[in-house]
Amino acid sequence: MSSASDIHSLTMLIRKLESIATLTNEERQAILSLPAKTRVLQPGQDIARDGDKPSQCCLILNGWACRYKVLGEGRKQIFSFHIPGDIPDLQSLHIHTMDHSLATLTEATVAFIPHESMRELTTRFPGVKAALWRDTLVDAAIFREWMIGMGRKSAFGRIAHLFCEMYLKLQAVGLAGGYRYPLPITQIDIGDALGLSNVHVNRTLQAMRGKGLISLRSNTLVIEAWDELMRVSEFDPTYLHLEKRAA
Amino acid sequence: MPHYHIDTDDDVFPVCDEEGQDLANLAAGRALAHRALSDMARHRLPDGEHRTFTASIRDERGTTLYVATLAFSGQCRVAPAAV
Repeated sequence: MSSASDIHSLTMLIRKLESIATLTNEERQAILSLPAKTRVLQPGQDIARDGDKPSQCCLILNGWACRYKVLGEGRKQIFSFHIPGDIPDLQSLHIHTMDHSLATLTEATVAFIPHESMRELTTRFPGVKAALWRDTLVDAAIFREWMIGMGRKSAFGRIAHLFCEMYLKLQAVGLAGGYRYPLPITQIDIGDALGLSNVHVNRTLQAMRGKGLISLRSNTLVIEAWDELMRVSEFDPTYLHLEKRAA
Repeated sequence: MPHYHIDTDDDVFPVCDEEGQDLANLAAGRALAHRALSDMARHRLPDGEHRTFTASIRDERGTTLYVATLAFSGQCRVAPAAV
């Protein structure tokens, strides 16, 4: 049975899906009636570990999470950052064994939805299935962009690209506007995601500030020159496939 | 865990690490300084033929514990082609 706050939590999923697809009223209602168990997690807490066989999906309601893998000598690679509205382990619905881990980066509120309920929803509503499929394809498009960044872009280009991407993703679910957003992750997290030492992340952030592109104070990022940040990072938002793109 | 500051310079843009970070030991700081140097060399291609990259570690009292430098030097052995 869903409590009032759980029902509210599922509107986050609707918001996310409606940023990339169109849902009917009936589909929206079906999503709202999904059973979801809400939990508050501490920063750095694993939600699903490499090798796990989850029986539920995790919808982020508040805070940030990441998918990652740890190699020898403490080397860590973050594959993706996740924000409210994302279901970072959606793939566990069809690929049963986790091939990477999912963890919170900040304190986070998440809703767990049983696989069984997700399967039933997607069987009954092909439109929702198509929206989730579309979300998975956009996810893959984001990986392609990160691959270009890691393989071919400078540290400056990689970080600037990430800042543009996160702005549009947050804006799409109503969590950013006016070219500013809360950036609750550390320079180490940014380095682990973009294949850079945190020392060089720090250098690059200072260079960006020096050029008047961004300011970063008490975990709020302000993009001072959006067009220029897009230009230097060769950022083209097409790959996010947002339905209603404001920027 | 000791708290170290890693200052860096590439002859053009010196950065003083004001915040610093906790690291297991000096060996961890040294490894990080080396990674920073390779990042700096890779991500800022020299504009000219000479560039020195430096990363130095100091402790909380301001004592410099370790300095690593990486020097880039290019030399043209033929007359520059007319463009």
